[in-house]
Amino acid sequence: MDLQFDEEERLFRGEVRQYLLEYVPGHIRQAVYEERPLPREWMVESQRILNRGGYAVPHWPVEWGGKDWSAVKRMILAEEIDSNCVPKPLPFNTALVGPVIATFGSEEQKRRFLPAIANLDIWFCQGFSEPNAGSDLASLKTSAVREGDHYRVNGQKVWTTYAHKADWIFALVRTSRGERKQQGISFLLIDMATPGIEVRAIPTIDGYRHVNEVYFDNVLVPAENLIGEEGQGWDYSRYLLGQERSSMGNVGYSRRRLQRVRELAAATSGENGPMIGDPVFRRRLSWAEIELKALEFTQMRVVASGRDQGGGVDPKTSILKMKGGDVLQSAVGMMLDVLGPEAMTSGHVEPVPDDPFQGIDARSAIVAAYFSSRKFSIFGGSNEIQRNILAKAVLGMGGRR
Amino acid sequence: MNFDLSEEQQMLAETATRLFDGHVRQAEPDAKAQWRDYQELGLIALSLPAALDGLGGGEEEIMLVMQAYGAACGTAPYLQSVLLSGRLLAEAGGENGERALSALLAGERQYALCLFEPDSRYRWDEPATRAEQIDNGWRLTGAKVAVCDAGADSWLICPAAVEGGLGLFLVPPGAAGVAREEGIAPDGRPSANIRFDGVMLADDAAIGDPAMNRARLARIVDQAIAACCAEAVGAMEKLLDITVDYMATREQFGTAIGTFQALQHRAADMLVEIEQARSITIYAISMMAAPEAERHVAVSAAKALVNRASRFVGCEAVQLHGGMGLTSEYPAGRFFQRLTTLENLFGDTHHHLCEVERGGGV
Repeated sequence: MDLQFDEEERLFRGEVRQYLLEYVPGHIRQAVYEERPLPREWMVESQRILNRGGYAVPHWPVEWGGKDWSAVKRMILAEEIDSNCVPKPLPFNTALVGPVIATFGSEEQKRRFLPAIANLDIWFCQGFSEPNAGSDLASLKTSAVREGDHYRVNGQKVWTTYAHKADWIFALVRTSRGERKQQGISFLLIDMATPGIEVRAIPTIDGYRHVNEVYFDNVLVPAENLIGEEGQGWDYSRYLLGQERSSMGNVGYSRRRLQRVRELAAATSGENGPMIGDPVFRRRLSWAEIELKALEFTQMRVVASGRDQGGGVDPKTSILKMKGGDVLQSAVGMMLDVLGPEAMTSGHVEPVPDDPFQGIDARSAIVAAYFSSRKFSIFGGSNEIQRNILAKAVLGMGGRR
Repeated sequence: MNFDLSEEQQMLAETATRLFDGHVRQAEPDAKAQWRDYQELGLIALSLPAALDGLGGGEEEIMLVMQAYGAACGTAPYLQSVLLSGRLLAEAGGENGERALSALLAGERQYALCLFEPDSRYRWDEPATRAEQIDNGWRLTGAKVAVCDAGADSWLICPAAVEGGLGLFLVPPGAAGVAREEGIAPDGRPSANIRFDGVMLADDAAIGDPAMNRARLARIVDQAIAACCAEAVGAMEKLLDITVDYMATREQFGTAIGTFQALQHRAADMLVEIEQARSITIYAISMMAAPEAERHVAVSAAKALVNRASRFVGCEAVQLHGGMGLTSEYPAGRFFQRLTTLENLFGDTHHHLCEVERGGGV
């Protein structure tokens, strides 16, 4: 047991922080701090800065830009990115599709996509969920029928984050029907500019655009865009979901949010002096900060335990996901409460065409973030799914006979 | 960063588990024999400084021992005798301290630390109990409450305000002017309220340096709180095991109740709270060498979260057991009682949250 960061890890944290503060422009970090929706160009600019420093894809194989760092160092990096208000590398690119291509793709696919994915020259979105395939993902129906050199794709994806900004989509499609629904699923890369694709915004309660429906109407996709083998897509998706857990607990993000709660509460008048002096409010903040401190160590435990084992997801990752979401949600709940009556004039407005922030200012961003944050207990396996995993994989509780 | 147990730590954990399990099964526990067991297995040396041939440091090892103790629902006064009194005597040093310590190590004496007072809840560092220097000795006056595991033959260690700081006084069993009101803690262990009405003590009853005793005792109490957290984590983990086992065997509506998703989710929530409690305990342990203010906030943060988890896990375990959870014969209830006692020991949730806030937050 060694419960302290070692010298190398401490120095690494300092290097990362210095790089981020020196190279990532202040206006981008300010917008992240205020939780405003970032313009596409800013996200691209920021990821390219990270990539230049070697910080965008350290978990990839070394020949494609990876760094062979320990999981603890990667965790430190993720924490520093979040707590210094730097936009995270686009997860669909760096955490999801990248590792799948690097592991199961052909040499040609790796050369074509990986450098572009790391540098955000190509923006990927994720086409997994469908109207009737959410937590039960294997029920997906979008079909891909082989016709010579192409697949003909028909169907619909839903909850596709940033589909309207994306250049490409990686999709799970059904290429055949097997005995089990997990069989016959394939992993396909599709250029969003292909005729027959339609993206429709799903208006959400937070007021800005991020999720979409994506319709495929006889979309012809070159067969060379199939990743790995036909029918093995389910395994690839399992692999993908098991990737990069080192920041699953969102510790840096929560730390930034709780810090902002403190700052807002210190600057806002309560009914008896500043809000931060209100003992009831202070107590809520104390609990959240304590919970976060525990989460920080839970995350380190999960990260450190996976370090030498390779392969296999620690089921305790589910704890990170649940508690991480919890703290993020309670932090933004406190921000909303600090706004108080100001929240009444901070609903979102219809964006004017040229507004980079889609009409969302620093106050309405809190209201938007409050609504948006409910997603943390839903996406990537809802909290109920995580409880199922814990009950079965950790506690060994059985299903009904 | 590395959270894996070394081979030695692994062995220690297993040894401690066997020892405490054995002690719990004894029909008529013999405190002296148990003490010898501690000594033989090195558990006493473990928590005493290197100067006394202890292994020194060892906060991580103590955590492992206390987890094992918690999992066994141990009843021997390990915390009171070794972690509190033993450490205090060892660190107070001096002729008086050393003499008192050798009596402890030889198994001749048990000690109990009298920390808390009426009307000041969990604040112990500015006692109303006072000691005045008189010819050839001291006169001790005041009252202490909730003194755990103090048998009638135990020596008491009593902090008291003295000229120039905090005095620490050794009070022999049966001293004139000591009035004990015996009570029982929620887990059934002895706990006494004790009055000192002008108790006359010899010169050599005072240990340590009044200018340094407060800081020294503060550290030892923080270490003991972290140990309590570890005990609670061990107890909660075991209680969850017991509960999951019970759910796998108890059948209703033709199936084991552990197959019901609603109940599985409650068990999963218990697991989540336990793992968070374990994490913050590790955090507290990692802060033991930090300056007092930071160490104290870390320890209080840990105790607050572990307390909350203890109450949640204890109540849920009883609920998931149904009526069986309320019976004395079934182990779940005993763990719940011990967790409830631990929640109170060295400060309840409210106290420790206040401490965290007084220190500026974690």
